Amino acid sequence: MNTAPHDTARRQLPRIAFVAPRLAVDGAVGGAETLLFNLAQLARDAGCDVTFLTTCARDHHTWENLLPPGETRHEGVRVIRFPVNTDRDIETFLRIQEAICTGTAVSDADEELWLANSVNSRALEEHLRTNTAAYDRIVTGPYLFGLTVAAAAVAPERTLLVPCLHDEPFARVRRIARLFRGVRGCIFNTEPERALAVRLFGEALTAPGRPAGIVGFALPPFDCDPAGAARLGLTAPYILYCGRREPLKGTPLLVDYWAAFRRITGRDVKLVLTGSGTAEVPEGMRRHLIDLGFVGESEKHDIMAGAVAFCHPSVNESLGIVLLESWLAGRPVLVHDRGVVLREQTRRARGGLWFRDYPEFQECLNLLLDQPELAAALGAGGREFTLREYAPAAVQARLLEALR
Amino acid sequence: MSETTPLQIGAEGVDVDAIVRELRERVAERRARGEYDEATVARAERFNLANLKDDAQFLERYLTCLRQAVQVDIDDFEIVERRARLAPLLKRLKRGIWCLLRFYTYRLWSQQNQINGMLLAATEIIATRDQERLDRIEARLSEIEARLDAAGKSS
Repeated sequence: MNTAPHDTARRQLPRIAFVAPRLAVDGAVGGAETLLFNLAQLARDAGCDVTFLTTCARDHHTWENLLPPGETRHEGVRVIRFPVNTDRDIETFLRIQEAICTGTAVSDADEELWLANSVNSRALEEHLRTNTAAYDRIVTGPYLFGLTVAAAAVAPERTLLVPCLHDEPFARVRRIARLFRGVRGCIFNTEPERALAVRLFGEALTAPGRPAGIVGFALPPFDCDPAGAARLGLTAPYILYCGRREPLKGTPLLVDYWAAFRRITGRDVKLVLTGSGTAEVPEGMRRHLIDLGFVGESEKHDIMAGAVAFCHPSVNESLGIVLLESWLAGRPVLVHDRGVVLREQTRRARGGLWFRDYPEFQECLNLLLDQPELAAALGAGGREFTLREYAPAAVQARLLEALR
Repeated sequence: MSETTPLQIGAEGVDVDAIVRELRERVAERRARGEYDEATVARAERFNLANLKDDAQFLERYLTCLRQAVQVDIDDFEIVERRARLAPLLKRLKRGIWCLLRFYTYRLWSQQNQINGMLLAATEIIATRDQERLDRIEARLSEIEARLDAAGKSS
């Protein structure tokens, strides 16, 4: 990314600590962590003095300290790892989390207890406290980790929150509302995410002088080849999903819709999955569902380029990075109407279609299969949108504006 | 859909809103003509119910699905065997097992069908009553609003 500013501008650039619960060493982390590191790289490329503070954990289920603590460099960024607290009371954490999820009233004390027993690192907090003067800005997220709340509490007047906010029960925790209102500002991914934050936490979030910009994720264009998919054995038409497979991401819904589509229409359309997790495959469909597991970036882009469409049925996203990648590969997307962020991204990009239920899914997919020129035009629309809105230089300019 | 939806690419790209609107009209028409296999659709919607529950037509659709899925098929069925070499023997064995189990299966499923039918009837009665009550309340509310408007104008 050739996005370095002039020397005069560089002198005014802030020293920034990015704080995230994890950092990928092999690409296997969530979207929020990937986004934070992406922003850190952009700030570094702009000439900012960037330090990425994270934990020694790799696995987001166990949070075991598998990586060595201390300073290292990752893709040119200075990284300091700290151990996750090992004295978490998981039982208490899950008990309160269950209450929050079911909408049961939770006391202030229990909210604090929930965050205290979430993922935290006393060593990281101590580093921030003793080095407060070394950082002009602390950029931290996503919002629902104890680590994020604790990092924001060290110097809230200098903290920018990257919330990756979803419309979910955790967003209604009072302590979370105080986090949003107490920090210097927020960095949002999309307009619907910012609108949700304003609806939940008040208009003051976007008051004049308070950073509340939409920054997004920098994605440089890449080369891809649909023939690469054929080389992997994908010769029949297929729809694609890349990422974690779990109910919150809508993958069980996608598998059911795809199986119903095959049964009802009799059309031979495969479902290709990449990423982690398990998928329950309906009877008789196993040989038509192609599970590629983890694939390299270049392979993934080839698979995207060869797909009829990329289908992302999640209704809980703050940004669809895989949607942007699919558009850069020139292919359209199919998203759920209730996923406001993905639907609005798709509408703005003119890069795909959206469905409310199975019959609409069937009609959308039939249309893309029957009219390849329409599918190509949607893919081209999405590509043009991604190149314009998510080019590294454009995202970097928005980030620097938010960091001022 | 694909035969009737023209490719709409303007200077700013494809008009996706128009396409989605047309798709929805087409779905409504096909649904009214009973062209979707609603029982299969109902099964495919099991993970989508949480997203559909706020939809104004949710209850109506849900009841349609229930009506189509309520009767469990308890008729005899063709017994097949994929392993060609042992097929005659295995088919005979399976037929024998089915003959032994048929009495219990019929008894169980006919009772299940009876329960399903009763549950569906109860759900439909509750839904109809609630709708009638809502209609009455809305009519009463409109009447009160009209009276208040008239009173406001005369004063």
